[in-house]
Amino acid sequence: MGKVIVVTSGKGGVGKTTSTANLGTALALLGKTVAVVDADVGLRNLDIVMGLESRIVYTSMDVIEKQCELSKALVKDRRVDGLMLLAASQKNNKDDMQPAQMKAICDKLRSTHDFVLVDSPAGIERGFNNASAGADEAIVVTTPDVSAIRDADRIIGLLQHARIEPINLVLNRFSPELVGNGSMMDQADVLDILNIDLLGIVPEDSGVITSTNRGIPLVYEDASPGSQAYMRIARRLTGQRIPIPDLEHKGLLTNIVNWFTRKR
Amino acid sequence: MANSIVALRAYRDGLHLIIRPHLSITEIEAAIQQEMSRMNRPLIGTSVQIDLKCPTLKEEEIAYLRSKLQDTYNLTVRSIESPDEQASPPIAAAPTTHAISQIADVQNSRDSEPSRVVPYTIRSGQTEDFPQGSLIIYGDVNSGGEVRAGGDIVVLGALRGNAHAGMNGRLSAVIIAMELVPLQLQIGNYVNRRPIDQKPRGYPEIARIGAEDIIIVEKFVKF
Ligand SMILES: Nc1ncnc2c1ncn2[C@@H]1O[C@H](COP(=O)(O)OP(=O)(O)OP(=O)(O)O)[C@@H](O)[C@H]1O
Ligand SMILES: [Mg+2]
Repeated sequence: MGKVIVVTSGKGGVGKTTSTANLGTALALLGKTVAVVDADVGLRNLDIVMGLESRIVYTSMDVIEKQCELSKALVKDRRVDGLMLLAASQKNNKDDMQPAQMKAICDKLRSTHDFVLVDSPAGIERGFNNASAGADEAIVVTTPDVSAIRDADRIIGLLQHARIEPINLVLNRFSPELVGNGSMMDQADVLDILNIDLLGIVPEDSGVITSTNRGIPLVYEDASPGSQAYMRIARRLTGQRIPIPDLEHKGLLTNIVNWFTRKR
Repeated sequence: MANSIVALRAYRDGLHLIIRPHLSITEIEAAIQQEMSRMNRPLIGTSVQIDLKCPTLKEEEIAYLRSKLQDTYNLTVRSIESPDEQASPPIAAAPTTHAISQIADVQNSRDSEPSRVVPYTIRSGQTEDFPQGSLIIYGDVNSGGEVRAGGDIVVLGALRGNAHAGMNGRLSAVIIAMELVPLQLQIGNYVNRRPIDQKPRGYPEIARIGAEDIIIVEKFVKF
């Protein structure tokens, strides 16, 4: 029996799809069986980021409409064992799916996979309700800016209301330089507001964009800082206790300046 | 309540005694007594201007107040004015701490009101309403969240969203937070006009209606 984790955010473009693709691949690289599910009906991306777009024949909508079996709709990733994608229909929209139908799919996948990662669309409406309907746990992705954080806060409230827990945070596109010169919130400020557990911090990494364009998740490249961050997060998801490294390695001078200009 | 009816403030041209709308002359007298007792240095002989912000006061009542100030408190009343336009901001508040009045509020009082404890954080998009009395939040009120109470609002965490105290018109209502960095505050029908500083100060603060008809924020010491 595996677990279903919804990857969500509220605000769009903060890295849900990137995180789903990389964590799914990383978990498979660690030997787990994984299904990644695109719940962004009508605006699917996960297939592209995973580099599987040319191999999609059936989508979750075909499964719901009983056009094919769930096992047939799953696309196997040939680069790593145990990784499968269930694509979203591109020609439908979010209202064509019911939360109960998504839940039924998640329940089936839970019995055959160690991890089921559901890539949620942005927003708090039907798309979010569908994506979270079958979830046991949640990963909330945010970037360290006030609007993304406010939306993450909103989503956390909704997840708590739906009794989905634990809810863990991935802080994405974190830039130690910007934190160092005071123009980005640091992780303590973000956690102070959101008050949930931190699963990991992913740095701003230009490798994400090139890997997205090539359809090869970043975690296949060992050296990149983003890849290492996602590998650490995946290990934490499997229950390993991996410390969160202090990405805020500022110079001594910045530390002294910050000490004198601390907000509190 | 003294602070919302009568206040002594130091302006560039000297001390002003500001009198705002009230129910009766006895209420003003009590409020003056309260305000005087808050002064921590004697004001004997000091000249004061009375700013009447209450059109309802009758001629003989004004005369009575003038003699009362002179006889009982030894103040020299240099003038009585009813300013229409907004006065310039005080250069310094009169030397007081902001002790909160124990005088029973005319509409409703703090001690006769029920209160509700909210044992969680109010997140973005969530609201907590308690028109019957005061709210105590054991958590934060985040940006995008809103709390509204008939009485006071006490946040034992950070207030980053919106708070509306005294929603039924009790102007003596206050808003207290361990970290007061709200988007917007409202007490009765008064909304903070100037944005409140978003930098946490590291000490609790209190917001209430000051004598100049604006919401003022000060370090919270104690009731
Ligand atoms: N750590 C990172 N460093 C640099 N760029 C990143 C990082 N994470 C994401 N991006 C970029 O941000 C953009 C949005 O990412 P992504 O599509 O994963 O977000 P999303 O939350 O799924 O968006 P949507 O709400 O539209 O579904 C992409 O162009 C991606 O390459
Ligand atoms: Mg996406």
